[in-house]
Amino acid sequence: MFKYQFRWDTVWGSFDFLMAGLQMTLIVSGITLVLAMLAGLVIALLDMSKFPPARWIGVTFGEIIRNTPILVQLLWVYYVLPIVFGVRIESLVALVIGLSLYQGAFISEVYRSGIQSVPRGHSEAAQVLGLTPLQNFVRIVLPQAIRMTLPPLASNFVQLIKFSSLGAVISVSEITRRGMELSATNFRPLETFTFIAVVYFLICWPLAMGIRWWERRLQAQ
Amino acid sequence: MFDGIGFAYALNMAGIPIIVAEGVSKTFGTNQVLTRVSLPVMERDVVCVVGPSGSGKTTLLRCIALLETPSEGRIVMQGTAISTPQQEKPVKAAARAVRSDIGMVFQHFNLWPHMTVLENLIEAPLRVKKLPKDQAVASAETLLAKVGLSDKRDAYPARLSGGQQQRVAIARALAMAPKVLLFDEATSALDPELRREVLLVMRQLAQEGMTMLVVTHEMNFARHVGTRTVFMDRGEIVEEALGSAFFDSPKTERAQRFLQQFED
Repeated sequence: MFKYQFRWDTVWGSFDFLMAGLQMTLIVSGITLVLAMLAGLVIALLDMSKFPPARWIGVTFGEIIRNTPILVQLLWVYYVLPIVFGVRIESLVALVIGLSLYQGAFISEVYRSGIQSVPRGHSEAAQVLGLTPLQNFVRIVLPQAIRMTLPPLASNFVQLIKFSSLGAVISVSEITRRGMELSATNFRPLETFTFIAVVYFLICWPLAMGIRWWERRLQAQ
Repeated sequence: MFDGIGFAYALNMAGIPIIVAEGVSKTFGTNQVLTRVSLPVMERDVVCVVGPSGSGKTTLLRCIALLETPSEGRIVMQGTAISTPQQEKPVKAAARAVRSDIGMVFQHFNLWPHMTVLENLIEAPLRVKKLPKDQAVASAETLLAKVGLSDKRDAYPARLSGGQQQRVAIARALAMAPKVLLFDEATSALDPELRREVLLVMRQLAQEGMTMLVVTHEMNFARHVGTRTVFMDRGEIVEEALGSAFFDSPKTERAQRFLQQFED
């Protein structure tokens, strides 16, 4: 260890190669966040549905997703879905589908607790004043619920950035995958993976700090 | 014991009641909270409902406010059933039609925290009555002046004291020009020194002839402002009397025991 000769130039030499991977990481995370928010909405609506079969589907789906490893789910989507549907899925598409469903299952809980955090009395007051259930939800419950869900949604984005590194195992060319490829040719895993860890940290840490500050500010209001 | 409806008609034969609870029972699971309670409210009546906690006062009010469905009996507004155990289609339609004629003031105010005071007041007039905005704002400002909070027009509820919040809540209920205003322990969540300002507004409304049904622990209000006092215990109306008669000469032992708590 002490005699180790650092060769950071092997990393700098491939800086553009790695940054193109980072770009892929952020694109995957961004697209997935949007899809996961939609998936979360669908799951939350199923969970809160008046129809028992819909509720059953939502709850079962959520439980399965939340209680199996994301890596297994990605492998399943990538290798099993093509067998079932007989179509070849791009690794990038498989990653986005897998991550969206996974995060969606968690985001649905975020939505639900956001909606439940609005005191019942607020919608009862609206009900007595004659607002329709839809007006009640849109005007009274939703604006308050959204405030509560924004910080957790942002936290989900941080998680997505980190989870997107799992794309490496199904050969999505994001930054972790590129690091694996690079270290296989420069034989410098220490420099390569340290650099990649620092990149993740420099993106995720400020975001996480910002969210914490934001949450405190919301609570203070 | 007397029949509640017959008794009230005897008191005030003129006209039909604005709103009546007719033989209303309510059970939650196996817990019977109300047992065949009948209570008519006539125009300009200020009916004060008193009784120990858990006596079913609030549940009765919530049935009349159409927030709970009675397990038995019905709620009738000016001759039309607006709530029944089955909530049949015509009943629901009737309820929708008169919904905003029944105003309610809650124990915990229930102002909407993401809206300013003015926005709280104009929300229902704009969305339910479809009033033009300038008209809704003008009448909201009149109401705020009435409850003495004109200067809080653009404040958010969290910036107001409890007493101020409750006065805004009263103004919000009045903004729909209800025919009857229900108060659910409107001062119970307030510190004693803040109760007065709310009670003064309620007293003023009573003097202006607002029809009110007031669930309260404020015996002085019931005694001096109420036109009729209803004493409830264990889900039943035990006693009712005009004006201050209930306080001067309670007839039943349960009422006497209840009133003893308030003597110093």
